[in-house]
Amino acid sequence: MALLDIDKLSAFYGKAQALQDVSLSIAEGDIVALIGTNGAGKSTLLDSIMGQVTVSGDIRLKGESLVGKPTSKIVAAGVGYAPERANLFAHMSVRNNLLVGAYTARDNIADNLSRVENLFPVLAERAGQETSTQSGGERQMVSIGRALMTNPSILLVDEPTIGLAPKVFNDIAEALRRLNAETGLTILITEQNVNFALTLARHIHVMETGRIRVSGTADELREDAALAEAYFGH
Amino acid sequence: MFATVNWRHLLLWAVFAAGMLLLPELVKKGTLRTIIMAQYLAIFAMSWDFLSGRTGYISFGHPFLIGIGAYTTAILSYRFGVPVELSIPIAVATTVVGSVLFFLPALRIRGSYFALVTLAFMELMYQLTQVIRPDLTGGTRGISGIETLTRGAVNGFYLSFVLMFVTAFVLWLLSRSRLGTALSAISMNEDAVAGSGLNTTKLKLFAFCVSAAVAGMGGAFWVHYLGSIAPRALFDINFLFTIIVAALIGGASTIIGPMAGAFFLTFLLEYLRPFLPGAERYLIYGGIALLIYMYQPKGLFEIVSRLWRRA
Repeated sequence: MALLDIDKLSAFYGKAQALQDVSLSIAEGDIVALIGTNGAGKSTLLDSIMGQVTVSGDIRLKGESLVGKPTSKIVAAGVGYAPERANLFAHMSVRNNLLVGAYTARDNIADNLSRVENLFPVLAERAGQETSTQSGGERQMVSIGRALMTNPSILLVDEPTIGLAPKVFNDIAEALRRLNAETGLTILITEQNVNFALTLARHIHVMETGRIRVSGTADELREDAALAEAYFGH
Repeated sequence: MFATVNWRHLLLWAVFAAGMLLLPELVKKGTLRTIIMAQYLAIFAMSWDFLSGRTGYISFGHPFLIGIGAYTTAILSYRFGVPVELSIPIAVATTVVGSVLFFLPALRIRGSYFALVTLAFMELMYQLTQVIRPDLTGGTRGISGIETLTRGAVNGFYLSFVLMFVTAFVLWLLSRSRLGTALSAISMNEDAVAGSGLNTTKLKLFAFCVSAAVAGMGGAFWVHYLGSIAPRALFDINFLFTIIVAALIGGASTIIGPMAGAFFLTFLLEYLRPFLPGAERYLIYGGIALLIYMYQPKGLFEIVSRLWRRA
């Protein structure tokens, strides 16, 4: 059984339909990337999983439906969400940003904090710094760290490399890879940077105008000349 | 829960309390009466700040909450002879219950709409106290001759100080807890708080109940200090803005800020009174508030903090 099953999911903003019959499965321990241009529906898919958009169809985590549940229950069920780094609490310290994520896993705060600071040592060094004064890369680490404080079974990361220097997103890719290898945490990212997605993810879904156009392993998609031309530009 | 509290903080609170308790020995009775008014304003400003300063939900209806507390104890004690030991706790409970019934639907809306809805509640309360059962509320004239709890400025000072100090200390403890951190996070990005697994409706409801309880308690004790109550003095836009400006001018989302702002405003208005006895005083205080905001939007607390750090 897959860890996360999405079945014929459609999402709506008012009368506008942003996702159309999206189905995918994510196995436990996998790293999966959703790639596509702006407006393809990647972030909407994450918002749908988090219960922040009106949807039809089904989303199941370990067989249990998440549809209709409030976001707080979805997080408590095991979905950790690292939104774009602009969604931090800008005038709070790094430590307090992380602690806001600790409500659903109150018994493991020390362990989770230690895991996050082990993954991103810079967050321990700058625990008292306001996140508004941090670099883009560090803020991205705070965003991922806050999601990890919820002790998730699956981590959703929305566009982790947007606006970052190549050196920084290599660091983030390495941290996510390490996290997956050491803890077996399942990771779902959205990306516009295809090369980043190809180096990190094992399975990739290419999205376009609210639908999944192509799915496959990173190797399969890398070798597909037509896809490379259409989506990757090389 | 209160991981960020240490003995230095507690020492500062003790020094503050000791300094304030010495005031009756150091200042004149007239000044003490001004301080009493400042202390009640500080309670109202802290109450407003706990909801609006922390969560970013700007309430324009705070006199509505203060009014429920004040009118409940006034009617119970004056009309029905209920002892104040009972009427005040009932007033606090009524404020919390009443405010939740009225305001809870408003917490589902955000921004200026929330502010306007709460303003409407204040106006509604103003009209209702005059129209519904004026035999109880006293109608437009209100009620006078309400039992007072203390005699003389010194006793009034001690009572209002204890109320302000206990309110400030409890709210400070709450603000230092993870709950306080989460409330502050709501004002910065409510969706991200929800995305972190917190139930923001419950958090806002908690902030609202605490704020209402403090407002109701302040209102109840205030009316038993003044000995009278009238709708125009209570459900008044000037009173509302004095509360809000006290919190903002001192430093929103802090504890010392609303207290400092309340003292600053009360004394400013009192010192201006001999020169400008009418409403013109508000022009001066509005101008000063504007200057402070332009210079430092985080208020007097931030100005003093920066000077302290430089020193």
